[in-house]
Amino acid sequence: MENNRRKFLKIVSHSLGGVLAAGIAAPLVGLGIHPWLKETVYGTEDFINLGKLEDFPVGVPKKMNVTSSKMDAWNIFEGLVMGSVWVLRKEDDSLSVFSVNCPHLGCGINWGEDEKQFLCPCHEGVFDLNGKVLSGPPPRGLYSYETKIENNNVLINYKKLI
Amino acid sequence: MANKLCEWIEDRTGLSKLLKAALDEPVHGGAKWSYIFGSGLVFLFVLQAVTGILMASYYSPSSTTAWGSVYYIQHKTSFGWFVRGVHHYGSSAMMIVALVHMFQVFIFGAYKRPRELNWISGVILLLFLAGFGLTGYLLPWDQKGYWATQVATNIMGTVPVIGKYIKILHQGGSDYGNFTITRFYTLHVFLLPISLVFFLFIHIALFRKHGVTPYWKMREDVLRDRVDPFWPDQIFKDIVFALGMYAALAGVVFWTRGAELQAPADPASNYLARPEWYFLFLFELLKYCQGKYLIVGTVIIPALALTFLFVLPFIDRNTSRYPSKRIPYFGAIFSGLTGAVVLTVLAMHHDSKDIHIIHQREEAEKQAARAVKLAEKGIPPTGALSIFLHDPIALGEKIFKESCIGCHKIGGEGGDNGPDFTNFGSREWIAGLLKNPKDAKYFKGSGAMPPIKLPDESLLDMAEFLLSQSVGLIHQNAERVERGKELVLKGNCVVCHPIGNKDLKKIAPNLTEYLSETWLKEFIRNPGDPKFYGTRNKMPGFDKLTENQLDALIQYLISLSKDRTLVSEKLGNRGYVFGLTAPRTMINFQDKS
Repeated sequence: MENNRRKFLKIVSHSLGGVLAAGIAAPLVGLGIHPWLKETVYGTEDFINLGKLEDFPVGVPKKMNVTSSKMDAWNIFEGLVMGSVWVLRKEDDSLSVFSVNCPHLGCGINWGEDEKQFLCPCHEGVFDLNGKVLSGPPPRGLYSYETKIENNNVLINYKKLI
Repeated sequence: MANKLCEWIEDRTGLSKLLKAALDEPVHGGAKWSYIFGSGLVFLFVLQAVTGILMASYYSPSSTTAWGSVYYIQHKTSFGWFVRGVHHYGSSAMMIVALVHMFQVFIFGAYKRPRELNWISGVILLLFLAGFGLTGYLLPWDQKGYWATQVATNIMGTVPVIGKYIKILHQGGSDYGNFTITRFYTLHVFLLPISLVFFLFIHIALFRKHGVTPYWKMREDVLRDRVDPFWPDQIFKDIVFALGMYAALAGVVFWTRGAELQAPADPASNYLARPEWYFLFLFELLKYCQGKYLIVGTVIIPALALTFLFVLPFIDRNTSRYPSKRIPYFGAIFSGLTGAVVLTVLAMHHDSKDIHIIHQREEAEKQAARAVKLAEKGIPPTGALSIFLHDPIALGEKIFKESCIGCHKIGGEGGDNGPDFTNFGSREWIAGLLKNPKDAKYFKGSGAMPPIKLPDESLLDMAEFLLSQSVGLIHQNAERVERGKELVLKGNCVVCHPIGNKDLKKIAPNLTEYLSETWLKEFIRNPGDPKFYGTRNKMPGFDKLTENQLDALIQYLISLSKDRTLVSEKLGNRGYVFGLTAPRTMINFQDKS
């Protein structure tokens, strides 16, 4: 009789204990996995403004800093320089915006005014005005960004390399 | 396979033997509901520890980041508000259960020989608990925590000779700052928990050595012969109690929607501090110990009370545990308890009647709501307080006080040439205007519009319709809007007021999108425009205000009513952009002026 009672008590205790543990664990896990559910560090703008269209000379790449703001959990950091890009305005006012990093090993590329070519100083990668590889080890042409022009402003999607 | 693994682990560790030893404690005299409080406290401590550890993974202890990180836990994570709520109310629950446990131990006489050290370690644990409450209160770095903790550190400062040094050591300097937070944080999450676990271990080991102390009337033979195993007999009761407490805690957290987070601490503000409820009696005591007697309340009385608790097992040496044999001690303990309760009630009663405190609580709630709204857009790295420095509503209030308050009253302050703007633009305000435009609160003698003789409910319907024309009306009631529309459009209103077409002019103001941000903007720029008051106008136009000043003023005007919200906020847009510290609108405004 007494043994049965204790057996029963054990089962009930285990069950109640399980309910209690689950009730406590659920919100804790919910809070713990927050970074899976929500972006905590992110740029606040999808498209970043690089300046007015007329600031860019036709046919000559111009290096521009990409300035935007970043949310870091509760903080907002404004006016942060996120990096830089090469902007090329073409005759028809269309734009190519290239990453400054060489697709080979990520060195910063320069524009050779005399050669009219992009040059990577690390392993002598050479690209033409449109970012195509002319010589050297790079496996592909320069990375570029999606661009659009709104109210005469040049905007790029800095989150995605093409 | 699983069995083999268990055997292997058992063979190498002896874990289940250890567990058996821990759980197989014989409970002499039988398992009792009256023994649940000690283990209830252990449960609550574990609950505080796990919720605290999780919050620590989001918390950032510095004077510029603490509020922001707690704001993030509270408003940006899915369960943060609940976990924080459990932790907050859990501390109160621990205090309550600890006091019940202590008084039960006292009433049962369980502090007597040979259990003196059980009692003393228990009193030490109670002090640690108070320490947890005190240090934890400051960590959110909000108004309440900041100012209440100031009182506590100032009390430290009243200790003769060494007080000054103790205070500086706790504050990490002569004033509050980053080191105050890092020190309180270190105490709260490292030193106090380690010390508490150490004394808890001693407390429980001593309890296991001496066993339970049952009700004083239990016969010796029952105590000897009736033995229940701790598992499951006592543990079952403990689990039921723990579950009950957790359910109650969760209930309170849901009911109160979590712990309060007030606006960020503002050292320049004039905040009336109140400590957590379990320190209120000490706080109230100080009101009666002023001037040179301050030390009586801050040091002497608390020290005497504590000394009494520590020496109690040594002065009450009578072996009998019957309360009738311990009357002086009962008298001492319960008069102390009564004193504390009376002081607590007095403090609460006083605060509930004090108009300053009531006003401050309302103000603090508003400030907190505002802070949360502003923080939504991100907190500048200069710290949480800077969200207020560049609040357009604050700028709008400044402009109002410079340009409008001469004619418009708010909250009893200001001139009375124009309508009173208290609660401006609310349903009630508009219904009042419709009821009697010539009322002293509205247009007085200059009002040309006749009162609308309809029941109050119908006037509220009309107000609902008029306000529903602009985005931002909170809790819009579709039925009321329909009824109001009918009344406005089919009644006499449209004889004088154009409505439906923004540019139409009649003899009275155009009510299309009445009181919306655009309507207000156009109106303030030129109230004499034929689509508003035309030749009847008496208010000067404010077309000299810059776009940003006007925006700020309108945001302020709309914030005066609880019924409306700013469109920019409702849509979740960033209506203005923060510069490194200031919104760009502000920078532009400063450039132009």
